[in-house]
Amino acid sequence: MCRNALTIVAVAAALLSASCSSPQRNGETPRSAETAPKTADGRALNQVALPDLSPMAPSAQKQIRDQYGSLTKTIAAQPAVTDLSAAYGEMGRLLMAAQYADAAEASLLNAQSLDPSDFRWPYYLAHLYRTKGDVVKSRSFFERALQLRPDDVSTLIWLGNAYLDQGLPEAADTQFAKALALDPRSISARYGAGRAALARNDYRRAVTNLEEVLKMDPKAASAHYPLSLAYNALGDAQKADEHLRLRRDHQILPADPLMVELEQLVQSPQTFETLGIRALEREDWPGAVAQFRKGLELDPQSAVLKFRLATALNMTGDAKGSEALFEEVVRTSPDYFPAQFSLGVLRQQQDRHAEAVDRFSAAIAQRADYAEAHIRLAVSLRHLGRAQEALDHYQQVMKANPQNAEAQFGYATTLAQLRRDKEARAQLMAGMKAFPDQVMFTHGLARLLAASPDDGVRDGQRAMSLVQDLVKRGRTLELGETMAMALAELGQYDQAASIQRDVMKSADRAGLPAVAKRLSKNLALYERRQPCRTPWDRDEVL
Amino acid sequence: MKLGAAPLVLSLALVGGCRQDNNRPPAPKPGAPAESPNGQAPVEWFTDRAAESGLNFVHYNGASGHFYYPEILGPGVALFDYDNDGDLDVFVPQGRALGNDAPAPPAAALPLRGRLFRNDLQINPDGTRSLHFADVTEQSGIRATGYGLGVAAGDIDNDGWIDLYLLNFGANQMWHNNGNGTFTDVTKESGTDNRPDFGVSAAFLDYDRDGWLDLYVGNNVHYSLDNRTACPNTAGAPDYCPPQIYGGRPDRLYRNVGHGKFVEVTAKALPRVKFGPALGVSTADFNGDGWIDIFVANDGEDDLLFINQKDGTFKEIGLAAGVAVTGEGKAEASMGVDAGDFDNDGDDDLIMTELTSQGFNLYQNDGHAMFKDISAQSGLSAFSLPYTGWGTGWFDFDNDGWLDTMAVNGTIVMREGAANRQFPYDQKKVLLKNLGNGRFEQVTNQAGRAFELSESGRGAAFGDVDNDGDIDVVVANDAGPLRLLQNNIGSRHHWMGMQLVGANKHDALGARVRITRAGRTFVRRVRMDGSYGSVNDSRLIVGLGTSDELPRVDIEWPDGREEHWLEPRVDGWSILNEGSLR
Repeated sequence: MCRNALTIVAVAAALLSASCSSPQRNGETPRSAETAPKTADGRALNQVALPDLSPMAPSAQKQIRDQYGSLTKTIAAQPAVTDLSAAYGEMGRLLMAAQYADAAEASLLNAQSLDPSDFRWPYYLAHLYRTKGDVVKSRSFFERALQLRPDDVSTLIWLGNAYLDQGLPEAADTQFAKALALDPRSISARYGAGRAALARNDYRRAVTNLEEVLKMDPKAASAHYPLSLAYNALGDAQKADEHLRLRRDHQILPADPLMVELEQLVQSPQTFETLGIRALEREDWPGAVAQFRKGLELDPQSAVLKFRLATALNMTGDAKGSEALFEEVVRTSPDYFPAQFSLGVLRQQQDRHAEAVDRFSAAIAQRADYAEAHIRLAVSLRHLGRAQEALDHYQQVMKANPQNAEAQFGYATTLAQLRRDKEARAQLMAGMKAFPDQVMFTHGLARLLAASPDDGVRDGQRAMSLVQDLVKRGRTLELGETMAMALAELGQYDQAASIQRDVMKSADRAGLPAVAKRLSKNLALYERRQPCRTPWDRDEVL
Repeated sequence: MKLGAAPLVLSLALVGGCRQDNNRPPAPKPGAPAESPNGQAPVEWFTDRAAESGLNFVHYNGASGHFYYPEILGPGVALFDYDNDGDLDVFVPQGRALGNDAPAPPAAALPLRGRLFRNDLQINPDGTRSLHFADVTEQSGIRATGYGLGVAAGDIDNDGWIDLYLLNFGANQMWHNNGNGTFTDVTKESGTDNRPDFGVSAAFLDYDRDGWLDLYVGNNVHYSLDNRTACPNTAGAPDYCPPQIYGGRPDRLYRNVGHGKFVEVTAKALPRVKFGPALGVSTADFNGDGWIDIFVANDGEDDLLFINQKDGTFKEIGLAAGVAVTGEGKAEASMGVDAGDFDNDGDDDLIMTELTSQGFNLYQNDGHAMFKDISAQSGLSAFSLPYTGWGTGWFDFDNDGWLDTMAVNGTIVMREGAANRQFPYDQKKVLLKNLGNGRFEQVTNQAGRAFELSESGRGAAFGDVDNDGDIDVVVANDAGPLRLLQNNIGSRHHWMGMQLVGANKHDALGARVRITRAGRTFVRRVRMDGSYGSVNDSRLIVGLGTSDELPRVDIEWPDGREEHWLEPRVDGWSILNEGSLR
């Protein structure tokens, strides 16, 4: 071993031995040597200190301590410089993965200075500084990484992004162009090129690149917004508006195996929860199940992980397993309202409304302002014939948020269920005005006007007029049913029956025999030349 | 027009003046600290005078290790003249314990209540200033013992005295200024009790131009102590949760139907809006049609831009206007916000503070409420990436005629290795100088020792506390002391100080002052809102730099009247009453 390396090792050993001599205990203060070490040629290694580990999950604490122990042993073994560098690097990676950027920095800098030829260390340092908001250092280290691997597409893209953050779109464009030359199918490089073009006011080029992104990946919803800006600048308001409507917050990131590896390093329940959530977002249901199970191995009592696993199992089609797990969470952690709510949804879907009421009520007991729980509770109450109680829950939601259209509509149809049709009519008309884009209010009003048992409310002409307007927007089974009701109210029973039969056939074809059976009741009325006086069946409650 | 002994075409007394402060050595021009005559250390641009002036306040947030969400949010701070004696007083909300095992508050925080400090500024015959604040909370009658977060101010009944609206975790409060040094709780009578909501920022504005100030309340999240959730990081260390865990609450708009009585008009006036977790509110006429609009900064969700339809309603156009999300299409944190004409092109642009690694956002207005994200090209983004910003504002700290900006900062992620500290979420402030060419310069390290303090900054209120012609800043820190950053250099350049008084005796909020000089017209507007949960000085200071050319000054009053100030006064304060000009 060369003398320089021996010196480095000796100094590093002294550095760490001072810190390892004190007994370990929870909540210990960071351990470090007292003097800054130097290599034989005068370059200093940084002090490597562990942060306070006490707030961390026990599994993560152990993992970090074990890694630190491994670093200590490595140093004591007087390894080659590259091995020492790797040991510091692994320590730094783990601390970075645990979101301890300051503590990670020292280790990674040591790794990098001990072995400047290892691409990983400047690459991780670049990301570390990026998360700290130090764009200058981040850029510098991405550039250093690029010197080691000029063809690394991820690095080129991240460097391009750094240039964009600094308001240097021309420099950014150069990086994205290089990345595209290496990987023309890189969506994130194409996206970056689009953003750079937009920043340079080169709108046509921005459009070309961003449209290409969407062509390669229609799910890359982030591209819609900058594309909208570009079209707007080009004067194409229609396309600008189309893309604006499609805009979603969605990250377009380069393929980054090193960072993916980093994100999976920490052995903590939270890591597996995060990985599982990402799998759910990718619709990788079995993958999500696997990650949540790993998390539960580390924290078997975690209500959150059990809940997430139950959700993932439901997506894989394991309804029984999912249900059993939701029940377990509700039993062992009754305060965990998401599980109460989800179990309530399951029970509602199973038409077990009494149990659904219990679950939603429990969720609301934990989260009194949980609008969705109130609304679903109201639905189940209506199924149980407790419509008056349902009204209270809709009203609570409406008071907290007058913009909640679903609550307004539910309130209106509950009034109808209680035969308070005049109030229901007023509520539906108010809903039409407040929410002109929500056709349910118009349709609901049409239904009420067609079939209300209240002579003072019924208005067949108006009902038909509304239905005809709605038909222009699209036909549905429910709308067909409403049309039949309106026709019957206007005395056109033959037409009503004909429409009703068509709707029943459509329901059968759609695999909805229960709906077809329900529709047969009204058909019988029309065939007897009688109008319908029941706007909604109880089964039709939302 | 040249400077000279121009007669004053105004009424009433002047509010202070600009004289050489003989007790202070000449201040350096911005960018270069100057030696003092006797060779002592250079003069700081800003000096913290809180302690020596009597602004003794330490905020207590009750942090107990349970990470209750409100602990990370407050407080704002208000600068307003409650006693109409011509100088700015201070109100600051206080927190309290949220659980049963919170640590005891520090002695300096007791008693735990929002505090009103009266400014007893003395301007001595030689022009020097003695700055002193007296705690007058007790005699004011203000009982703010809830968990205080933000504050808004405005004259709700046009009696000429500024009233206060306090936002709490819990019921909000409306305090009527009785004009005799006392306040009365009129929450119930005013109809603005926000239960069961939870807000941080609010703004008074006369959106329907009926002469009465209405109220916009930005609500945050659905949160109660019962539904708190743990949000550990990757290693399992617990920390505060992001607002998305709880979900945003709808904001509320209250219309003043006269004499301080309000009715809620949210559903009618703000139809079909998806509200988010609001943190900052700023009102301005963004499209230049003479009617006040509203911008709401939402935490982690699309920001909202409500354009006044002049019929009692607003249309939300944030996304279409380019101001709801960044140029990349991302909804960012958006805590503090301010509107101001930073590029001196005659319209109000927007600045917003964001999380570390997001970079603050600067949206440039084209004059028609269409905005372009110029955060990166202005340099603002790069300079602000290391910070999680809260209170912010446009202010011309050196009076060179260009609006600069600063932010008070504090992280929302626990500082490493600091788990055993009381509240380890501190960061330094940042000061950015407007270069006048669409770009900014980082000048924090020239600003003085007050900018070297690492604290959990939240509210920032901008105003001329010592009436010397430059803008000072009061900073409220979360679980920390109040700071008064006295500006030592702005008054070295020429300036115009204006207090606009509307026809209804109140502060003419929303009035726009057009200043034309050297062929360029820019605007400054009368506002108290903006920043974060805070109240700014409603008076205007317009920096004029070193030039001796008098500007043309035109005023657009909130009710639509336009007047021209015939002979503007430079280097002094003037009161401009609506109807008394031409």
